[in-house]
Amino acid sequence: MIQIFLFFWLVSAFLVTKEQKSVRLIIYLGIFSLISSLCFLLFGAPDVAMAEAVISAFSTIVFIVCFEKYYTLVEEPNHLPIKAGFQKGLRKALPFIAFTVLLAVLFICFLPGGEHNTYLKDQYTARFVQDVGGENAVTAIYLGYRMYDTLFEALMLLVSIVAVVHLSWHKGGSVTDGKPSDIRDSDIAGVTVRIICPILLLFSVYLIMNGHISPGGGFQGGVMIAAFFVCRYMIYDIYDVRIHRVITLEKLVYVGILVISMYVFLLGTSTYLPIPQSVYLTLMNWLVGIKVASGFLIVFYRFIAFERR
Amino acid sequence: MHSFLAEIAAIAVFFLGFYGLITSKNIIKSIVSIGLMEIAVVVFFLSLGFVDGIRPPIGLEMAGNVADPLPQALMLTAIIIGLTVTAINLTMLISLYRECKTTDWEIAKKLRNRIRSK
Repeated sequence: MIQIFLFFWLVSAFLVTKEQKSVRLIIYLGIFSLISSLCFLLFGAPDVAMAEAVISAFSTIVFIVCFEKYYTLVEEPNHLPIKAGFQKGLRKALPFIAFTVLLAVLFICFLPGGEHNTYLKDQYTARFVQDVGGENAVTAIYLGYRMYDTLFEALMLLVSIVAVVHLSWHKGGSVTDGKPSDIRDSDIAGVTVRIICPILLLFSVYLIMNGHISPGGGFQGGVMIAAFFVCRYMIYDIYDVRIHRVITLEKLVYVGILVISMYVFLLGTSTYLPIPQSVYLTLMNWLVGIKVASGFLIVFYRFIAFERR
Repeated sequence: MHSFLAEIAAIAVFFLGFYGLITSKNIIKSIVSIGLMEIAVVVFFLSLGFVDGIRPPIGLEMAGNVADPLPQALMLTAIIIGLTVTAINLTMLISLYRECKTTDWEIAKKLRNRIRSK
């Protein structure tokens, strides 16, 4: 089973590398992401599979918005004729093939018998119910055992959003500089998005609320909330989200994540938490979800309205 | 028995993405190639310790073949960071496009040298 998926995965990666037109490139990237998401499901990682599926859909939308509004697709860079390009490309590709073979051989040689150390995994899976609570070991790790990872990930998200906001500032121009979205004119797409919209919001709330006992959690739910706002923009084509307030909200939520996690981890011990475990997990999932949602909302609206500060 | 198919495929896709990154003329293709490399790294980490019929680490019964939850939690954050990396890349591309009106590395480099020499 996994061999078939890996074969198609390789083929789609090859298609992405060989494609020259930008729009087809994005479509192939979507296919590649979908197949890798299915692979994650087979690897026993439904959380990561869900995150990958949502993220790939969101990044496809961001790419398309970027294309639609900011440059004409006619101006593709010219490439060499296919035959000469293939010869030259093969010569260029040889070092990479050599690297791949070398790394693969090294990897197989240095793993003795394919057995890897499972001490940490056994400890985590045996003790997470008592230590952190919930039924999802992945949530228990990123909200409990390795909380600092999540804190710095959220910090990195914040810094990236600041970078996007400040890099995208441009003198002059206005919000109406870009084209309005075309999806309103299409009946099929408009009606479908209208039907999907409320289900999307409900499902994202479900994912965040049940993140600690089932697959899902703050990250996936947060991106899905951002996707809800994207759909809303596509139907009504209104720019009524006050982006300053969203930026302030994101910073406040980050402070909230810091305060709550530090409160719990400085006052709690391995046997005692100052607030009940499920309350802590749900609260943190909500905060992470709002953080991620506002971050990606800012990214999307910056791409739509590039000039507004 | 664990087979190394997924790991080897991930290494291959990583270098495929690297090849696309440094040999393409189109800046958008370079950005997409960075995304390809990120997904390859994620697949590499998740496929460590994979056996057939592995179960996700969810639920109270943790007997048998259960996937390792640690790389999953790490890769979850890595995927989110990957999207922000793409977003920053696209922002820089739009800024470049406003200055130079091109998405070609060669033309952009020439324009940059001309701006510098002035």
